[in-house]
Amino acid sequence: MAMSTSTDAGAADLPRVAQDPANARVSALLASAARRTPMGDTPAAWLLLLPLLLFFLVSVVYPLIETIRLSFYDIRGLGKPTYVGLQNYFKLFSDDNFTTAMIATVKWTLTSTFVSVAIGWMLAMLCSLSPGRTLPFRVMIFAAYGVSEAVSGFMWLGIYRPDVGLLNALLGSVGLDAWQNPWLGDPSTALWAVIAAYVWTQVGLPLMTCFASIQAIPKNLFEAAYVDGAKPYSMLRHIVMPLSLPGVRVAIFINLLSSLKAFDLIFILTSGGPVRSTETVGYFMYRESMQNFKLGYGAASTVILLLGVLLVSIPVIIKRTEAAR
Amino acid sequence: MKSTRYRFAKTVLAGTVLSAAAGMANASALSGDLVMINWLGGAQGEMMQKLEDDFVAKNPDVNFRNIVPQATGDARGGIRQVILGGEQADLLINTWPAFRQELVDADLLLPVDDVWQENGLDEVLSGAWRDLSVIDGSNYGVTYTFGDRSGIWYRTDTLEKAGISAEPETWDEFKATFAPLLENDITPMSVPAKVWAHAEWFESLLIRVAGVETATKLANHEIPWTDDAVKTALRKWQELLQANCCDEPNTMLATDWDNSVDAALKTGDSAYVLMGMWLNTRANQEYGETPGEDYTIMQFPALGMGHDDTSMVDAKELNLLSTVKNKEAATAFMVYLLSADATAIMTEYGLASPSANADTSLYDPVIAKSVEEVSNAKSLQFVLGDLLPGDLGGEYRVQLQKFLQDPSDETIDAVTAALEKVAADAYP
Repeated sequence: MAMSTSTDAGAADLPRVAQDPANARVSALLASAARRTPMGDTPAAWLLLLPLLLFFLVSVVYPLIETIRLSFYDIRGLGKPTYVGLQNYFKLFSDDNFTTAMIATVKWTLTSTFVSVAIGWMLAMLCSLSPGRTLPFRVMIFAAYGVSEAVSGFMWLGIYRPDVGLLNALLGSVGLDAWQNPWLGDPSTALWAVIAAYVWTQVGLPLMTCFASIQAIPKNLFEAAYVDGAKPYSMLRHIVMPLSLPGVRVAIFINLLSSLKAFDLIFILTSGGPVRSTETVGYFMYRESMQNFKLGYGAASTVILLLGVLLVSIPVIIKRTEAAR
Repeated sequence: MKSTRYRFAKTVLAGTVLSAAAGMANASALSGDLVMINWLGGAQGEMMQKLEDDFVAKNPDVNFRNIVPQATGDARGGIRQVILGGEQADLLINTWPAFRQELVDADLLLPVDDVWQENGLDEVLSGAWRDLSVIDGSNYGVTYTFGDRSGIWYRTDTLEKAGISAEPETWDEFKATFAPLLENDITPMSVPAKVWAHAEWFESLLIRVAGVETATKLANHEIPWTDDAVKTALRKWQELLQANCCDEPNTMLATDWDNSVDAALKTGDSAYVLMGMWLNTRANQEYGETPGEDYTIMQFPALGMGHDDTSMVDAKELNLLSTVKNKEAATAFMVYLLSADATAIMTEYGLASPSANADTSLYDPVIAKSVEEVSNAKSLQFVLGDLLPGDLGGEYRVQLQKFLQDPSDETIDAVTAALEKVAADAYP
């Protein structure tokens, strides 16, 4: 005899279960459950979410509140904190180094996101021409996304070294000696050199999301277009590109957020230099908090960075939530 | 039979006496966990491990544990994280006088005057080394090694290749070596300006131009960064740059200290490098070169401005943290580092010890030369960058990078003004 554990069916089966003496204890429990008021969906959902919410409160909300609280204090080294109200924020916006970091962050975020998504999208379209044959290629590109940025950083250090670096050696070998440059030492090229390395690490994700979107396009659309005499470029322009946009949007969103928080690669390649030319807000925050140990000032810059991240993510989340409804 | 019994009884008695003696010895022996915040890496890290192993071999009931802070370059940030993170450590390896002051101000260090007295350290370390760790009349550290930071390192075959037969002793002689070096495709000075090491040349120039007192005043911000002494030191450096001492500015800014040392002491692509005594450890232990034969050290050239009898030094000390749980073992390790056994291990790794127990006959020619230079100096100055508050220390290195990019008089004015602006807010 099948025994349902759902509340309604369980109540209906009760008399039959009770007839079996071996199931007496089970039937007593079910009777007790049936007498209780069934829990609605919403309380049940909250109950199930509770452990996760508690974890979120401890690991995200509490540190966030603590960071905001710290931003109102002047803390130098291991000395005692002094309450200074909004002074850290006023100081931050009159700090030339922070302004430079903001500009570098904007350049870094927009360029790295645009370039990595553009390359990833283009590669995804090329790979979709022959998904089977391009599998090893896609795996290799995605592997770069999986490699730790610290490891990638050391590899790119070797590429950019001014004396025995691979890039300068390649340029020299093809007769472009005049183009050889200490890429990470020249303030005019350092940021772009680090962005290039960062793009290399980030292309894998857009490639995969865009490729998945392209694979989801119904085949009959291509068949219909072919029957109508559409050329390959037209199919690319009017079918593949517009219908793979959901994957592009996801890639832009994720890469934008990742690039706002980027730190490891900058730390390994330039430590924010030369002359602070590669110092983003994320690195500024690290330098002030962890090197100069001005925790209050560093916390204020963290709050500004957080606002930037929220500014990017909240509209997207709202839009996606509305779309889901 | 009788004699056998007699021998047996004697053996038992002797065993009992020895056991009792061992028991008494154990009662006073060191034991328990000894925890040290240790940020040393590379060959120096290996040396410290060897010292710890030797200490534990002598005190087998001690369990030595290192807390390794996350650190690249300046380890102070990582150490602060460890301390604020609630780690319970007994000892700290420290090389920054400004950091010692910060720890004392935060009540995180214990004075070690009692350690000093109980172990007769006045007999082992001279008063100058004791004074180095004194804050407000109390001593907070035991210095276990020091280095000559005004010593210029070079490969002997590099100078030979350029036909330079004698070490340059004066400023003009030093600059005169640049031309033959450049003719042989050797960069005269290797200056790694990526993070911090480019400040070394400025600091030795400052004490040779204006003396130790001026450098101390600058470190305490008792004179402004716009002072003539600072500008004169920068102008002296400007002279070197105008004499094509170095790689082009952006190459210097892309070069880290380790690649720079490789260029000077391993490959010979550059001639001179100015850095700490750990270069001896690196060249000796990591490159496998022979000190005094393959490479050596010469003192900073005399400028003839009245302060050529000064030297810049660094030192490493052990501090006793206020979180200490095993003070007995911690102080014993402090004292052990000044012992003959410990100093012999340091010597093996190319480092000098200030301890009177050090057997100077074991010193290799490079250590011996650097110790002699420091001993002969009339006044010593601790590394300026390590005396500055954290944010000024960072800005100081960035402004010197700007100077290297464009070593003009205008830049000197701009750089010193920028440093003064940061210094005005950096001191409590």
